[in-house]
Amino acid sequence: MSENLRDPAAAVIDVGALTKRYGPTVGVEELDIRVGAGEVFGFLGPNGAGKTTTIRCLVGLLRPTSGRVRVLGLDPVADHRRLAPSLGYLPGELRLYPELTGGQTLQLLADLQGAATPRRAELCARLGLTAADLRRAVGEYSRGMKQKLGLVQALQHDPALVVLDEPSEGLDPLVQETFFELLAEARAAGRTVLLSSHVLPEVQRACGRVAIVRAGRLVTVQSVAALREVRARRVRLTFADGAGPRPLGAAESWSPRWQGNRVELLIPPGEVVGALRGLLALPVEDLTVEEAGLEEAFLDLYRTPTDQSTPTDEPGEQR
Amino acid sequence: MKHRYPLLWLALHRRRRMLIALLVGMAVFEALIVVITVTVSPQELFAGGGRTPPGAFKAFSGSTGDVSIASYPGLLGGGLVHPFWIALQLTVIGSLAAAAVAADVESGTIELLMVRPISRNRLLAERTAALALASLALNAVATAVVAVGVLLSPQLHQAVPLSGVFVAGLLGTAFTLCLAGPALAVSAASSRRAAVIGATIGFGAVGFAVNFVALAWSKAAGLRFVSPFHYYTPGDALAHGTVPWGSFAVLTAVGLLGTAAAFRLLARRDLAP
Repeated sequence: MSENLRDPAAAVIDVGALTKRYGPTVGVEELDIRVGAGEVFGFLGPNGAGKTTTIRCLVGLLRPTSGRVRVLGLDPVADHRRLAPSLGYLPGELRLYPELTGGQTLQLLADLQGAATPRRAELCARLGLTAADLRRAVGEYSRGMKQKLGLVQALQHDPALVVLDEPSEGLDPLVQETFFELLAEARAAGRTVLLSSHVLPEVQRACGRVAIVRAGRLVTVQSVAALREVRARRVRLTFADGAGPRPLGAAESWSPRWQGNRVELLIPPGEVVGALRGLLALPVEDLTVEEAGLEEAFLDLYRTPTDQSTPTDEPGEQR
Repeated sequence: MKHRYPLLWLALHRRRRMLIALLVGMAVFEALIVVITVTVSPQELFAGGGRTPPGAFKAFSGSTGDVSIASYPGLLGGGLVHPFWIALQLTVIGSLAAAAVAADVESGTIELLMVRPISRNRLLAERTAALALASLALNAVATAVVAVGVLLSPQLHQAVPLSGVFVAGLLGTAFTLCLAGPALAVSAASSRRAAVIGATIGFGAVGFAVNFVALAWSKAAGLRFVSPFHYYTPGDALAHGTVPWGSFAVLTAVGLLGTAAAFRLLARRDLAP
């Protein structure tokens, strides 16, 4: 089922058995991910799943408790100064210095990067950051404008690897379009992009493969196309007797959502027939079965019948 | 400086208004001390009861030797260990030590800084330099004001050698280094600026209290060695004009050890909010 790259040497990002604990709390555990050169790779999971922890290990902010992390063939902590020139990073919770202007912020980060910023003017123009905006203090910016500034600082030095944590948060639809264009251009130019998100449509649109994490563990790595194929079926039943919610026997496993006499279940493709056998013993008046969207396929991976656990709370993802 | 040492520039630029206010405050305060000292002689100030001040009052004149607060060096030294002087110094140390690491970790801005090709050592080195520059400026202002006062007043100049003023300034700088080192270590290990500011105030306030108790109560005399105020003696420096190298070495060594510990602690920790 997993579509992880097999050859570590070909991987721009090579994570093996990565575990990060914060005292007794597990951030991520035994995570394996490989991302190849030129990929736009999605990293999906709900808040608290371990995405930000993994990303912070990739960019060298956190030291793994155990496991292997290689980015562009380098150890992100030990080889930080060799790796960082090739990195562009947008944090999930972007924090800026409120008293600096947008222009001062970009210049400060460019000075720290120690590299030319060939794309700054173009990116500001395309994302709609005007010269007047850049003269204003960041503390006066809206959330969307801060996010635009975050994207510019991540891309202005044209890095080989871009790591974006929840990049479209706060962007209006027009700017989101520009953002997707930038991702497509990065892929066309052979850049590698790791895109962390809990917004499925943006992953569906931008990424070739996705890793899905839940409660700090890897659920699967698949191509977006394969994920569509295994998506769940949405089964809707209407009962004739007007008695409302009732026990559904084995089908209770599929997280029934009741609305009066109607119930909706998301059932994996291979389980639909078996589930319906039991359900049709009840006084069913109407029945529909349809393919769920990608969002439901994603959610289905969180709703395995045996796993009722909630994702781990981790320090880095409290929002 | 802005492009060459951006982390140093950032630390000072963000606190420039506070630093200017503290520098002005220090200048005004020391000028006031000089004016009071010149206007009312120490003998008049303390001769009212017909008794000499208790020995523990040396804590308020910055002396562990023979300099009474009822003297010109004692009064001027009092301005250099006065709670207001201490508060200004602790504000600079606490604020800029917190800015070294802990404040950026707490606010989350550390993520933007430390994904650049800069080492943790460089982060701390530039932030330590910012703290050193600010402390140096504060001590330089205090020293300059007292020096001008001594130069302009014949009776002060007779009792206080100008070299003593500069030795007191040198000791003041060593004293701030002594407090800054441990404060930087707390910052390097912590994710909360309040912890750094609290620790800095703790070092200063507890140090002063311990020194006073040690001077006032003979059974606790041994405690004076753990207080930085035992080694920071501007009253003695103003009276004699000689550098107490032993005390200077202790203050400097504590500061350097704290700073070294900060580098070590920062190298080992995670850098995330």
